[in-house]
Amino acid sequence: MEADAVRLLAAGLAIGLGAIGPGIGIGILGYGAMQGLARNPEARGPIQTNMMIAIALTEAIGIYALIVAIILALL
Amino acid sequence: MTEPKKRRGCLGCSFPILIIILVIFLALTIVGFLSGAIGQEMLQKYGIDITFPSWMTIEKPAPHLPAPELFHVLGLPITNTMIASWITVIVLVIISVIVTRRMKIVPGRLQTLFEALLGWLFDLCKSIAGDANGRRFFPVIATIFLFVFLNAWLSLIPGFGSIETKEYALIPEDAHIETIPAEGNQPEHKVVLIDHKEYEIVDVDGKEMMEKRNELIRGANTDVNTTMALAVISFIFVAYFGFKTLGISWLRQYFNFGPFFRSLGKAFKGKLDFMGIFSGAIDIFVGFLELLGRFITIISFTFRLFGNMTAGEILLLITAFLIPYILALPFYGLELLIGAIQAFIFAGLTLVFVTMAVTPHSEESH
Repeated sequence: MEADAVRLLAAGLAIGLGAIGPGIGIGILGYGAMQGLARNPEARGPIQTNMMIAIALTEAIGIYALIVAIILALL
Repeated sequence: MTEPKKRRGCLGCSFPILIIILVIFLALTIVGFLSGAIGQEMLQKYGIDITFPSWMTIEKPAPHLPAPELFHVLGLPITNTMIASWITVIVLVIISVIVTRRMKIVPGRLQTLFEALLGWLFDLCKSIAGDANGRRFFPVIATIFLFVFLNAWLSLIPGFGSIETKEYALIPEDAHIETIPAEGNQPEHKVVLIDHKEYEIVDVDGKEMMEKRNELIRGANTDVNTTMALAVISFIFVAYFGFKTLGISWLRQYFNFGPFFRSLGKAFKGKLDFMGIFSGAIDIFVGFLELLGRFITIISFTFRLFGNMTAGEILLLITAFLIPYILALPFYGLELLIGAIQAFIFAGLTLVFVTMAVTPHSEESH
């Protein structure tokens, strides 16, 4: 296969496979946050803040995959 | 005589205004759908030929990652993201001067807004780092937060990325020239392909030259250099406070030779302690991994901020290309939220790292 075709295929694979992990991770985080909120609705503030921090950190891993895909596809 | 009740619509506007707004929105949606990429393809398939004036057609966005250099000052190249970060700094300075010019004990509205923002940041510093340390770390953390925050939000103002400078250059000899046939609302034109980028060929005074277009200003967080600079500053900040508070023993958590050699020493004195030697060896290994991890947080900071901002910019470009005027609206809201969250993450993570660096490690208490 020619190099250009493999490059675009690799870009698709990079973001496709790379989004699986963060997707599952953020789902687990949301699950934990919902459970915590259900047990203790008064702690909504800290739970929300910490959930946001953890979600942004997990999402960063997906963003790394997106960077690789963009570099492969466009540069 | 009671006056007739005015019928209130929703959002506080009366019904006529609401209907006018809905009609304008609907018109924009239809016009946007037809003049964008999706509409043009559908119209072509059905054979209906509506040509839009050239100022309503949007060409395919070509996002390029390295920031283009606009001009040179004293031999240093100035990119368009640098101009955007200067604009952020100027806006911050102007806001600070206006807010602190006549400070009152009972503050006016602008002063209240910034007091709330800075108060929230100060409480965040104190809640994570403790009272005295929070006071010490607050300036750098607040600067990082405000810089990243305003960079992200100012890059959404129209004008960032749409004002372009044109520059004409001669077509190199062996360049690959292609003729792209007319599609949709774009007429047939010739382009030059260099480095996987297309430059259009235009006629300038009878000579064919290639036209290089660069945006004048671009969001500052979309440049790897800016985000890497912030990450390196955060690294130096953590190292400085680590050394200042703990002295040279801040490095002790990274080069953790103590337990290993102590267990070896005990072996020479006659007490052979395999578990001690083993866990000492693991401690050395873990120390080196922590050192490596500290350098990797520079990379992770850089690419987290860069990736979020660049992905947001490309997303906005593409949604503005598909259905203009309308589809980009919810994504603008998303971009605002992401800008704020990323600023908070950057500043908050720096704060957590510097707090961990300053607290003395409890000695192993075997």
